Amino acid sequence: MNPTLKIFPQGGSIQVQKNILLIDALQEAGVNLISFCHKQGLCGKCFVEILRGKQPKPDIREKELLARKRLPGNFRLACLYRITKDLAVRIPEAARLSLMPVLKHGYRRTILPDPAVRKIVFAPSRPDLASPLSLSDQVRAYFPGLGKRASPDLLKNLAVHLDDPSGKATAIVYDGTEILDFEAADTAEQNFGLAIDIGTTTLAAELVNLNTGKTIDDATALNGQARFGADVISRITTVFQDPLKSEALRTAVLDSLKTMIEGMLEKHRIPARHVYEAAVAGNTAMNHLFLGSPVKTLAVSPYHAVFSALPPLPASETGLLMNQRGKVYVAPNIKSFVGGDIAAGLAAIDLAEQKGDFLFIDLGTNGEIVLKKGRQFTATSTAAGPAFEGMNISHGMLAVPGAVYKAEYADGLKLMTIGNRPALGICGTGLIDLISLFLERGVISPQGHITGREKKIGVRPNLFLTQKDVREVQLAAAAIKTGIRLLLGLHKLAVADLDGIYVAGAFGNYLNIPNSMRLGLLPRLARKKIIFVGNSSLAGAKALLVSRRERIRCERLAQKIRHVSLATDAAFQKTFIEALKFGAWT
Amino acid sequence: MNEDDLLKDMTRAIVEGDRDAAEALAKKAVALNLDLHEVVEKGYIPGIQKVGDLWERGDYFLPELITSAECMKAAMAVLRPALERARLADISQGRIVIGTIEGDIHDIGKNLVASMLAANGFEVTDLGADVKLERFVQSAQDVKADFICLSALLTTTMLGQRRFMDLLKERGLRPQFKVLVGGAPVNQKWADSIGADGYAENALAAVKLVKSLGRKR
Repeated sequence: MNPTLKIFPQGGSIQVQKNILLIDALQEAGVNLISFCHKQGLCGKCFVEILRGKQPKPDIREKELLARKRLPGNFRLACLYRITKDLAVRIPEAARLSLMPVLKHGYRRTILPDPAVRKIVFAPSRPDLASPLSLSDQVRAYFPGLGKRASPDLLKNLAVHLDDPSGKATAIVYDGTEILDFEAADTAEQNFGLAIDIGTTTLAAELVNLNTGKTIDDATALNGQARFGADVISRITTVFQDPLKSEALRTAVLDSLKTMIEGMLEKHRIPARHVYEAAVAGNTAMNHLFLGSPVKTLAVSPYHAVFSALPPLPASETGLLMNQRGKVYVAPNIKSFVGGDIAAGLAAIDLAEQKGDFLFIDLGTNGEIVLKKGRQFTATSTAAGPAFEGMNISHGMLAVPGAVYKAEYADGLKLMTIGNRPALGICGTGLIDLISLFLERGVISPQGHITGREKKIGVRPNLFLTQKDVREVQLAAAAIKTGIRLLLGLHKLAVADLDGIYVAGAFGNYLNIPNSMRLGLLPRLARKKIIFVGNSSLAGAKALLVSRRERIRCERLAQKIRHVSLATDAAFQKTFIEALKFGAWT
Repeated sequence: MNEDDLLKDMTRAIVEGDRDAAEALAKKAVALNLDLHEVVEKGYIPGIQKVGDLWERGDYFLPELITSAECMKAAMAVLRPALERARLADISQGRIVIGTIEGDIHDIGKNLVASMLAANGFEVTDLGADVKLERFVQSAQDVKADFICLSALLTTTMLGQRRFMDLLKERGLRPQFKVLVGGAPVNQKWADSIGADGYAENALAAVKLVKSLGRKR
């Protein structure tokens, strides 16, 4: 007969397997406990109160932890307790691990933090005549299985820390298999990581508490590589023509990231050495340039990448501002034009686990589209061009203060600008609103022709759209539309068959759905089936930072995604030309 | 219906992209035993020229351009055999070999240039995309081309245009062909720097350029 486990304060009881660890049984019941030491009985975070049932004698370390935490004698570490008989436990609030929301808005999903980096506090005894145990022997005794790998270099570092008056030291353990470093005193709470999205135009980062999975701060900046070219291809060309420039591009993005990271760390008085891991997500070219990998093959047919999934890299080899003994995890690339940013985005929304048929669209200069049909995944990319980022548009600009981001028609044209400033220009979402409104009012024909005699549409005295601007939007929208059409066609799916479309990218919630549909950028589908997920690359990077399980799942998914090239599809040109016409479609 | 009206209808069919009319009018011209040279020169060519003007004014865009080029193609398919029978085959404005350069699989732009050149009476050999430099040379020699047009959509593959120029010089073939370059990252400066004979920004500009450079013979 299996033992019964009662859990308080919420009540309820479950049958559990005999000899299961209490911490695992609780997890099965949906109660997740904090464990910095990966269930080794070392960190003392998972103490629970035994209300009824067997109370085995605490072992020597458990006893020491009980005393240090001044806990009553009926508390036990859930990671050392094996259930053999019926048991009732009470879970202290402090021991509970809270779920972390992955995306800020749009789509609710939470994950359980399970970081690779754990900090384990221990009290090495000073070697003296009475206990002549060497440091390495002590470490070995404390970290069975790990101690052997503690290098002389690490031990030297540990020896220095022994002078700390607290008599304690902290080991930084990676993935349960490697000691990264030792620190003086108890620094268990100082465990930080970075989630980084390397966009071609914009960089975004979050400083994260690895113990709890909570974001402490975030920062954005422009990618310093921009001075070598605005788009991916021109940056690749820079390296193509002069391989020595690879280092200059790498330094440029590292410098931008350094400023962002420094800003966050200084604000929260966190030293860089307490940042032990970073998870980085970028498109394939950005991932390559960040690591200084050759990019030549990315931009020449057959367009292949140097790497897809990588093991966590030593931080010292990447040049990121963080603990140099730490690790950097790079989100797996899917193909040369569908990168780690998309793999991370899919991880953020957990597309693999959803039932039904979905599209995931990342709207950017390179529009990436992933179709999930049942358990099949197919990805493609389509060159939308930079129109939606305000480039190549007479009065276009990035979504920064002063940009028109929204337009309405109600007793005349109403414009809304970012920061409520006087209108300086038009950003992507504003452009979509304006063209859609003019289309509805017949100022622009479905063919994209400005109908008035003057080939210019005034928006404000010094703000107008030209015929060429409208053409740029036609080209950008047609590229996305063609990608969607061909992917759906390939899988014999109709728009109406879709259970939902996830829209990622800088547009965030500002994209007006009815206007996007009137233009033909998005197909006509029930409003509630369109889900904006914002910067899903950054959200995914964070998920990959705080959860080892998410990494495994992400790498698995990236590997099974089939990639199709649109440009070689026989129907591409015809579909694209037809798609240039504005109008709702299904 | 007099001949003038017929020619005007032909022009209109091309401008409006009415393929059925373009084709039917061509058949009618053949049946009526009209001077087919004049039909091409005064009926159809003015149509495609008008399309070019409308494109330049921004009234027409890619779909209209392609539709008109297709109408032109349909009409010429009817007229060409009759012209050849009448030993008037030499309506060719010149021979052109065109393709997207090796390493590059993008070809919409190139296709557009090819069809506009064909619509304007040039004999076009389209080698497709990802074309090896050697194949351009071979094909140009085979068809005795006047022009070689190289398209590249990426800054990386654009470099192949320079290699092609070098290859022609190495083989001593440079004087035999006029080489034109195009593609999104290409500009006049680049064309000059690699010693090409010309650069065109779009399909219409390409037609003008080729006409202005004339045949070599």
